[in-house]
Amino acid sequence: MTSGTVFDIGYQNYHGVREGRSRGRLAVYKDGLRAALGLGRGGRAKILPWFFIGVLSAIGLVMALVAGAAERLGGPGSAERAHIPTHSDFYGIASIILFVFAAVVGPELLCRDKRDGVINLYLVRPLTGADYILGRWLALLTVMVLAAWLPQIILFLGLSGGDPLPMEYLKAHWWDVPRFLTAGLVMSLYATTIALLTASFTSRRAYASVFLVGLFVITTPFTAGLAQEMKGSAGEWMSMFNLTNIPVHVNDIIFGEISEITSEAPARKLASWILASWCAAWTIIPATILWARYRRLAP
Amino acid sequence: MLEASTGVRVTATEQRVLLSVDHLTKKYGDVTALDDVSFSITDGITAILGENGAGKSTAIKILLGLLQPTSGTATILGHDASSSVETRARVGYMPEHDCLPSLISAAEFLTHMAEVSGLPPSMARTRAADTLRHAGLFEERYRAIGGYSTGMKQRVKLCQALVHDPAFVFLDEPTAGLDPAGREEMLALIRKTHREFGISVLFSSHLMADVERTCDRIIVIQGGHLVHSGEVSQFTKDTETVFIEVDANREELVTALRERGVVVTPDGGGLTIEGPDVSVYDHVRDALVQTQAPLRRMAPRRRALTELFERGEK
Repeated sequence: MTSGTVFDIGYQNYHGVREGRSRGRLAVYKDGLRAALGLGRGGRAKILPWFFIGVLSAIGLVMALVAGAAERLGGPGSAERAHIPTHSDFYGIASIILFVFAAVVGPELLCRDKRDGVINLYLVRPLTGADYILGRWLALLTVMVLAAWLPQIILFLGLSGGDPLPMEYLKAHWWDVPRFLTAGLVMSLYATTIALLTASFTSRRAYASVFLVGLFVITTPFTAGLAQEMKGSAGEWMSMFNLTNIPVHVNDIIFGEISEITSEAPARKLASWILASWCAAWTIIPATILWARYRRLAP
Repeated sequence: MLEASTGVRVTATEQRVLLSVDHLTKKYGDVTALDDVSFSITDGITAILGENGAGKSTAIKILLGLLQPTSGTATILGHDASSSVETRARVGYMPEHDCLPSLISAAEFLTHMAEVSGLPPSMARTRAADTLRHAGLFEERYRAIGGYSTGMKQRVKLCQALVHDPAFVFLDEPTAGLDPAGREEMLALIRKTHREFGISVLFSSHLMADVERTCDRIIVIQGGHLVHSGEVSQFTKDTETVFIEVDANREELVTALRERGVVVTPDGGGLTIEGPDVSVYDHVRDALVQTQAPLRRMAPRRRALTELFERGEK
């Protein structure tokens, strides 16, 4: 048996590499990802984000199973003939869940930092307010993209695996992949920006979440009702203010077909460039306001 | 010798200037928060004293590069404070108010803060554990911060300011809200920060007792003006008084003291002698003998901080 002595070598100054502002930005982004998904936090912090990701994935899985069963029972092409929902319909079906997910997760990234005062510690480090908000925005965008793409990937794997001729299915439908990736990205950019802009106005997470859920849920019947009353061109423009539908119209443009949720919306009659520009405006303007609010932030 | 990482010039014979402000003025509309203030800070522990609204926080924010001065310059670690975000990688800041997340552990929080200051992840983890060990929180490092006592939270706040091994650290009211034992521990940790860790400190406080026991130098700001800047020992000497209480012949004693050139002021039931030096005690003894005034009490006494500010305004 050998014996040893433990020495306290005292405080050691750090002489290693300092990676500066780029490391700081990356750290804010990584922390944002962890906060959004509840990683490194207690069990309660994980419940909501993973519940929503689970629900969205389950929708993709059920759609794949239904389509696969139809193909098996009715033969190749029967799912399409029976108008069973597929990639082009998914974001229409799941849009409200995606927006509620953004409403729940988005405020977690900004409100808690403000309420606890941690934001003051970021701003006295080699970071600017713009670096901070960019890191948080990218973190939520990453999580939103994950939540939007994962069910579509499950659906694609399910549809190709469930088809009696999987390789034939892949050859015929590979073009759906870039389409759902693009549509998912548009949806995520839109939801991320609006969620964070709303969260930037309060330090209370619950207020921001309730406001956002209300915004997305209430504008749908409200604008639909007004659009029906107004009719014509005015009704089409009123229908554009249905916040849930704004990125779904772009999804329709990308897939080249009207999805179930927008088939009743008068705005679908407007030109594609108007619908795309409208969605871009609802993303770029809130992003600019968000950036301006944080750019000159000081503790 | 030129220290490459901080840009601070150091020679064997002179102390390095870590931070300096030169004719600094900051105005918010018609309100002047700082008016032509100049001082410099070298290695050591320096206190910045002032009442609420005196301009301390404005000065610190300008030095951290968070506010632009209206005129004048502020230099920190050899760089212009207003134009160098990167310099903040070598500066620590402990705010007065709450700034800690409640849900995550101290170890995780400090690791994150070290990374935000530019340290690679593996080194950030090591530094977080080391810093918590030196602050006496090693055993508690995996507990959520929300469950810590006020004293422990205050130490975590100090740790986040030190975790990236800054050359200089700003501490804003570090003893605020602490009980006497917690205050002692925090002051000991601040002394350790400079004497053992080699990190220079600028801390703001309202408490003269804390300042005297901890600091080497002092800067007093009042109403945006610099009232005093220098060694604490000199400051203490300049501001010390002697309080005398006699049972009778008080007026005769005042006259006798004034005849000897002693500056004396009636103060309640006693007398206050300004700026005492060694000879004052001899003069008091002689005056007491001359006037046959029976001495009840004689003790050195320090002015209250508010009195100092009043004196500064005059």
